[in-house]
Amino acid sequence: MSQSLRPYLTAVRFSLEAALTLSNFSSQEVERHNRPEVEVPNTNAELLLQPMHISRNEHEQVLIEPSVNSIRVSLKVKQADEIEQILVHMFTRFLEQRAESFYILRRVPIEGYSISFLITNKHTESMKTDKLIDFIIEFMEDVDKEISEIKLFLNARARFTAEAYLGEFVY
Amino acid sequence: MSDWRRIDIDAFDPESGRLTAQDLIPPYSHVITAQELQPKIQQLRSLSSSGDISSAIKLATNDPPYSADDATKAQYMMAVLETLTQVRQADITNILKGLNPQEQVVLVKYLYKGMSITEGQKQGGILLAWFEKLTQVAGVTPIVHYLSDRQTV
Repeated sequence: MSQSLRPYLTAVRFSLEAALTLSNFSSQEVERHNRPEVEVPNTNAELLLQPMHISRNEHEQVLIEPSVNSIRVSLKVKQADEIEQILVHMFTRFLEQRAESFYILRRVPIEGYSISFLITNKHTESMKTDKLIDFIIEFMEDVDKEISEIKLFLNARARFTAEAYLGEFVY
Repeated sequence: MSDWRRIDIDAFDPESGRLTAQDLIPPYSHVITAQELQPKIQQLRSLSSSGDISSAIKLATNDPPYSADDATKAQYMMAVLETLTQVRQADITNILKGLNPQEQVVLVKYLYKGMSITEGQKQGGILLAWFEKLTQVAGVTPIVHYLSDRQTV
């Protein structure tokens, strides 16, 4: 792992550890509802806690928005050029379309970020919190690798195609 | 009045018990202005330029301007950020060991705030180094304090 990635992941891990202390909390506004407070337009400021920004540089950031019964974790994946922008968009869209089977994935990322997770008290009750944190950290590690790998494949493929196509014109 | 059913009548009730973000901040007896903060910013700059980062951090985390308005806080934040980025990586742990728990909480506030503004994001590496060393010294405690503390820097 590179020298600057480790402190980044450590910061995310500790922040998540601190934020993932969720409890079951019924809505104060609507009777018999139980909804993630971080997601609803909230009139009760006491239910939301301080948001945490963690950034490695301008292009790689994590925003953790905690509340009493849910947290929202948003990642900004590194996008150096246009190809990476497209790849990240396609990759996260692929995952988001299958959000049902990922449980904690949010269908739409929040503004300015590539992908968002929404963890509620239901998730921390049915799954191990440590493993959830591990999953997010692992996701952050893998997504960069994945994107750069796809980019390499894409370039190799483009080169091969171009050679095969333009080879026809060589006499 | 076509959508009268959607009117939020509780908002008009002074005893509804709803709290805004402003209600959660404790009342301050004295609001710090930019002029009052200027000497402290000068002192921070001179301490950090003379290389005495340890005292500078102590000074910054000792009495943060909680009651100031956002513009003043931003100005102060820039001075703190300058101090934080001038440190040598090897010195960080020793500086952190000299801080008491309250000061560590304030430092965490500066770090998160620093990482949320563009000037700090450019220096992300050094802020993250501070953060990592802090968790090695104090664990998760200052972060939990940060989460529930309504007073911002």
